[in-house]
Amino acid sequence: MNRLIAAVVLMAGMLCGQIGHPAVNADSAIVQDFQKRVAAYLQLRKSVESNLTKLKSTPSHEKISHHENELGRAVREARKNARPGDIFAPEIAMEIRRLIAMAVDQGDGDHIGQSLRHAEPVQLHLEVNNSYPEHVPLQSTPPSLLENLPKLPPEIEYRITGRDLVLLDAKANLIVDVVRGVFS
Amino acid sequence: MIAILFLAMLTFASAEDLPLKQDSVRFAVIGDMGTGDKPQYEVAAQMEHYRETTRFDSVLMLGDNIYGGKSPAEMKRKFDDPYKPLLDAGVKFYASLGNHDDPNERFYKPFNMGEKRYYSFKKGNAEFFALDSNYMDPQQLDWLSNALRDSNAAWKICFFHHPLYSDGKFHGPDTDLRARIEPIFQANGVRLVLSGHEHLYERIKPHSGIYYFVLGNSGELRPHNLKPSPDTAKGFDTDRDFMMMEIAGDQLYFQTISRTGETIDSGEIDRKQN
Repeated sequence: MNRLIAAVVLMAGMLCGQIGHPAVNADSAIVQDFQKRVAAYLQLRKSVESNLTKLKSTPSHEKISHHENELGRAVREARKNARPGDIFAPEIAMEIRRLIAMAVDQGDGDHIGQSLRHAEPVQLHLEVNNSYPEHVPLQSTPPSLLENLPKLPPEIEYRITGRDLVLLDAKANLIVDVVRGVFS
Repeated sequence: MIAILFLAMLTFASAEDLPLKQDSVRFAVIGDMGTGDKPQYEVAAQMEHYRETTRFDSVLMLGDNIYGGKSPAEMKRKFDDPYKPLLDAGVKFYASLGNHDDPNERFYKPFNMGEKRYYSFKKGNAEFFALDSNYMDPQQLDWLSNALRDSNAAWKICFFHHPLYSDGKFHGPDTDLRARIEPIFQANGVRLVLSGHEHLYERIKPHSGIYYFVLGNSGELRPHNLKPSPDTAKGFDTDRDFMMMEIAGDQLYFQTISRTGETIDSGEIDRKQN
C-alpha cells in the first residue's frame, strides 16, 4: 500500500511538473541561480552607488577617477566578507567550464584559441574585491565564448585573467568573483 | 641653423592634399596614440598643420587612447595636451575603446561616447559606428545588426580596436571577432572598417567590397613588424602616422601622413564599385 501511495505521489509530482510548471532542466536551474546571484550583486551595487554623486559625461578626469575609486571602495566595504564562489557557486563554475569546452569543441576552437593568443594575454592572479590594475591591459573576451556563456547585465563582464575567468564590474573597476583554472 | 630651417621646411612642406571638395565630410583617424611621449605630440602637431588647410572637424580614435597610468595628470599628458590645438579649434574626437583603455573613458566628455561603450553618429551622408571589440557580446552584436540595418546613410563606417585582417607579426587578425561581425558588415552595406591594435599602418585589399585599414601607430610603434602578404595593399612600419579622410558623394579619399609630414599612402574608394 505504501509503495502504491509513493508511486501515486511520484506520478502526481511528475504530472504536476509537466502540466502546471514547465520542467526546468538542471542546467537552466543552475544558470537561473547564477543570474539571481548576479542580480543580487547588482542590486547591492546600485544601492551603494545611489549614495554617490551620479557620474555623468564630464570633461573632468578627476570626477571620473573619483567616482570609480569611491564606488569601488563602497562596494568593497559592503561586500567585505565576499568569498570566491559567492556568485560563481560550484555548480555554475562547473557549468561554465562545460560551456567553454563546448564552445571550443563546436568548431570555434581555432578562432577562440587564436583570439586568446593575439589579444595580448595577461598573466594575473586576482582575488575577489581586488581592483583591476590600471597598467595591465584588459584581454578581450572572444565573442564565441560570450555567446555560449550565461547572459550578464551590461554592468558586469566576463574577463579572462591568465587561466582564470573573472566577473568584472567595470564601472567600479572591481573583481566581483573568480573561477580558477578555466583556461589551460 | 640653416640645417634646422631646412628640416623645418621639409617637415611642414605642403604634401598632397585631399581633393577638398565643397561640402565634403572630412575627418582624421588616429590609433594607439595615448603614450604621452614625444612622437605622439609630433603626430598631433602634423594633424594641426593639416587641419589648418584641410579643415577636418573630427577625429576617429581607434583605441588605446590612454596607455598605462590613468590619473588625471596622466590623462592630461596623454590626451588633453597633445591635441590641445585641435580641441581649441573645435575639432571633435570620437573614441573607441582599446585593451589598454579604462572602460570609464566613456564618461570623458571630449571623447564624445555619450557614456556608451558602443555608439553611432552621423556626419553628412556618412554614419559612423564605434564598437567595443574588447567585449563583443550578443547584446552588442544585436545592436550593431539593428543599427546598421536601420541606417540610411550612404557610407557606413565602422571603427574599433582589434583588426579583422592584419599582417602584423605581433598580433595578427582576430578571426573569432571576424567570424562574428564580418557577416553583419557584409549584409548591411558597410564599405569601410578602421582598426588599430597593431602598431603599424596597413591597407588591406578589399574583402567582399569592404576596405579594411589598420592604423595603430599614432603614438606607439613596433618597427619592422609588418610581414606583407598578398592581402597587403600598402604598409608602413618605420614611423608613426595618422590618416585624413574625405567623403564627397560616392567618393571617399584617404591620405596617410607620417610623423614627419610625408604622405605615405593615398587613394580613392568608389562606394558603388566593388
